[in-house]
Amino acid sequence: MADTLSTPRITSSYLDSFTSRTIRLIGKVTQLRGEQATIDSDGNVTAHLNRDAHLTVGNAVEIVGKVNQDLSVKVLKATDLGRDVDFAAISAVVDATHRYKEIFYAE
Amino acid sequence: MANYGYGGGYSTTSYGEQGGANGGGFMGGSQQGSQEGGGSKTYGKDTVRPVTIKQILEAHQPHPDSDFKIDGSEVTQLSFVGQIHSIASQTTNHTFQIDDGTGLVDVKQWIDSDQDPEHVRPLPKEGEYIHVWGRLKAFNNKRHVGAHVIRPITDFNEVSMVLLEATAVHLYFVRGPPETPGMKSEGGGQGMFVDSNGGGAIQNVGGKPMPATLSATGRKVFGLLQSHPQNNEGLHVSMIAAQLGLQANDVFKAGDELLGEGMIYTTVDDETWAVLEY
Repeated sequence: MADTLSTPRITSSYLDSFTSRTIRLIGKVTQLRGEQATIDSDGNVTAHLNRDAHLTVGNAVEIVGKVNQDLSVKVLKATDLGRDVDFAAISAVVDATHRYKEIFYAE
Repeated sequence: MANYGYGGGYSTTSYGEQGGANGGGFMGGSQQGSQEGGGSKTYGKDTVRPVTIKQILEAHQPHPDSDFKIDGSEVTQLSFVGQIHSIASQTTNHTFQIDDGTGLVDVKQWIDSDQDPEHVRPLPKEGEYIHVWGRLKAFNNKRHVGAHVIRPITDFNEVSMVLLEATAVHLYFVRGPPETPGMKSEGGGQGMFVDSNGGGAIQNVGGKPMPATLSATGRKVFGLLQSHPQNNEGLHVSMIAAQLGLQANDVFKAGDELLGEGMIYTTVDDETWAVLEY
């Protein structure tokens, strides 16, 4: 039940283990090119945006999306987080998510 | 949340001073309940525990109407964060479906009809992150959280904080208090290890750190053996059980772990152990 609904938090380095899964990724928007954006989450990630997504270059964004075979992310939901986001804390959460996955997600 | 005191027989052990300094008396009582799940009166369960929604959904209820347990410890009051998935408003309550990336749970907030309309706070909107404090409830086999407080999150770092808090507390219950001196244990359970043998004793077994997989009981038994005046005989299982206020079979289990790790060895018979020092 909860298995299918969880959206594990990842960074760019985890993309290849999560293809065709829905994930959560936080990063800084570095480039916006129409329907596509580049997000820095411990490395660059290409995001294919939907119509509702309003991204701002330089701001942090949280993306809920599906990982494509080419390791780009199809955005389902994007939440702007502003500029005051501690990326060290974000990577600590991602690290904890995968190290102690028993409380975060099911395989 | 720190209901890991170190057993009832605390003050009679050789490290009694430390126990006293940490106010072990109350802790001891709550530890009995959380660890053995006995019928004894517990207070630890009423502390607010930070959790992930996956933990809420997987909380174990031994039988209907009893308290929920997470990591073997009773919980009632919860603190968690999440993004609002949907809102359903009725005349008596608002029900928010909250998603924190680990699962989805319903949060119910009752509407206080006596409240001054001027002071009614605006309802959080879909997609917003909120921090919820509330009580876990089950109704018709469906779990929900009855909210005491719902507060919108304005600084996203609060989300990271609660998720990391939940991890730390989860590990605290599963593995016992952290053993590095730099990381302050919330429960003060650390205190028992900092005795004349040197605070470093527990971290270093012949220069090796304690295996992270060691159970809380294993750590306690090892701590006791280490703080005990060393002689060739070591301590008998029944002595360890009496001093730590544990069941003999729990001590045997812990002993098996420690023997397996090569941290202790058997002396005069299979039930008498001493610390293996090299």
